[in-house]
Amino acid sequence: MQSKEEIFGWVADVLTHEFEFSADDLVLETRLIDDLDLDSIDAVDMAVRLEEKTGFRFAEEELRSVKTIQDVVDLIHGHQ
Amino acid sequence: MATNSRPAGDGDSSNRWTRITERGTLLGMRVTVWCYRNFGRRVCLALAHVVVTYFFLTDGAGRKASRAYLARVWRDPRGRRVLGHRPGTWQSFLHYRAFALAIVDRLAIWSGALGEIEFDAHGIELVDRLTAEGHGALVIGAHLGSFDAMRLLAERTNTVVNVLMFTAHAQRINRIFRELSPDAGARVIAVEPGSVHSVFEIRACLARGEVVAILGDRVEAGDRGRTSRVPFLGDPVELPQAPFLLADLLGYPVFLMLALRIRTGRYTVHTEKLADRVRLPQNAREKGASELLTTYAARLENYCLEAPYQWFNFFDYWGDARSP
Repeated sequence: MQSKEEIFGWVADVLTHEFEFSADDLVLETRLIDDLDLDSIDAVDMAVRLEEKTGFRFAEEELRSVKTIQDVVDLIHGHQ
Repeated sequence: MATNSRPAGDGDSSNRWTRITERGTLLGMRVTVWCYRNFGRRVCLALAHVVVTYFFLTDGAGRKASRAYLARVWRDPRGRRVLGHRPGTWQSFLHYRAFALAIVDRLAIWSGALGEIEFDAHGIELVDRLTAEGHGALVIGAHLGSFDAMRLLAERTNTVVNVLMFTAHAQRINRIFRELSPDAGARVIAVEPGSVHSVFEIRACLARGEVVAILGDRVEAGDRGRTSRVPFLGDPVELPQAPFLLADLLGYPVFLMLALRIRTGRYTVHTEKLADRVRLPQNAREKGASELLTTYAARLENYCLEAPYQWFNFFDYWGDARSP
C-alpha cells in the first residue's frame, strides 16, 4: 500500500521525465489540461505509463472525472 | 468563402463541404432517408444531382480545388489513363457528380438497404481474423470513396465498428442510426477538440475487441501540431499523426480501408495492413509516426489514381493558395 505522497511522486516523475515539465510547476492542485495543456494523446500516454507503474488498469468512466493531479493520485490510491 | 482557400490544417473544420455534410448528418438525415425510402433511388439521385450542380456552379473555390487536384492526377501516367482527358470544367463536374452518387449510396447504407449494394472485399479477412479472436484494430480511412462502407464490416462479421466523427452530435446521430437499422453494429464516437474523453472511449472499444475507424486524411482542430508533412500526389501535405500515435500507445494494429465505387450498386473494399501492433521508438515517436503516414499517403495516392473522381476533399488540400 503506497501513501498518497509516494503516488504523487510517481505522477510527478512521469510528468517531469516523459513530458519535461519542471517539478516546481507540479502540485496536487495542478490541472492536467488547463494548466499543463496536455492533449488527448498525452492523456493516454500518461494513463498507460501510470498503469505500467502501478499494475492497475483504469476504466474509462474513472478517467472521465480526472482533472487535477490530486484526482490521479486519489484514483491510484483508491485502486490499492 | 474565404475559408475555402485556407490550408487543410486549420481551415478544414470551417470548410463549406464539411459544414454541408455536418448539417446533412443532423437535420437532413431523417429527411433524406425518408425520401430514399419513399421515393426511391432514382428520385434521390435526381435531387442529389440538382444539389451538387448548384454547388458546382456557386462554389468557385471548390471548383478550383477540384481542378488543382485533378491536374495532379493527370501528371501521373496512371491517373492520365484513368482520366483519359486533360482535366477541365467537365472533369471537375464529373468530380462533383461522383459526390452526388456517393451521397445517394450513403442514403442506401443509412437506410439499412445494404442489400442494394454489393461489395467485393479484398483483404478484409485480415481484420475479420483479428476480431474473430477478440482483438481490436484501428482502421484508417479517407475521404476517398465511401467511408460509410465501414458498416459493411460490422454487418458481415458481427464486429462492432466505432466510427470517429468530429461532431458534437454523436448521441443524436447514434439514435437515428439505431432507428434506421437496429441490427447494425456501427456506432459513432464523437471527437471534440480539446476534450480527452473520446480517446479513453476509443481505448475501451479496442480493449473490448472492437474496431475503431478513423478518417486519416484531414487535420482537425484538436491535432495541435501533431502533424507530419508527407508526399502526396507530387507535393507534401499535412496529415494527422494521432491515429498512429494512438495505435502505438495502446498497442493495436493499423489497417487502411477504402471502399471504392465501381458502378451503381457495386463497391470494392480494399483493406491493407499498414502496421502490425505498432511499436514506435520512445524517443523517435514522431519520426515513426511520420514514416507510417508516408506509407498511408502513398497507398492513398495509389487508390486516388485508381478512382480519381471519388476524392471528396473539395478544398485547397495542398495549401497552394498560401504558398508564395
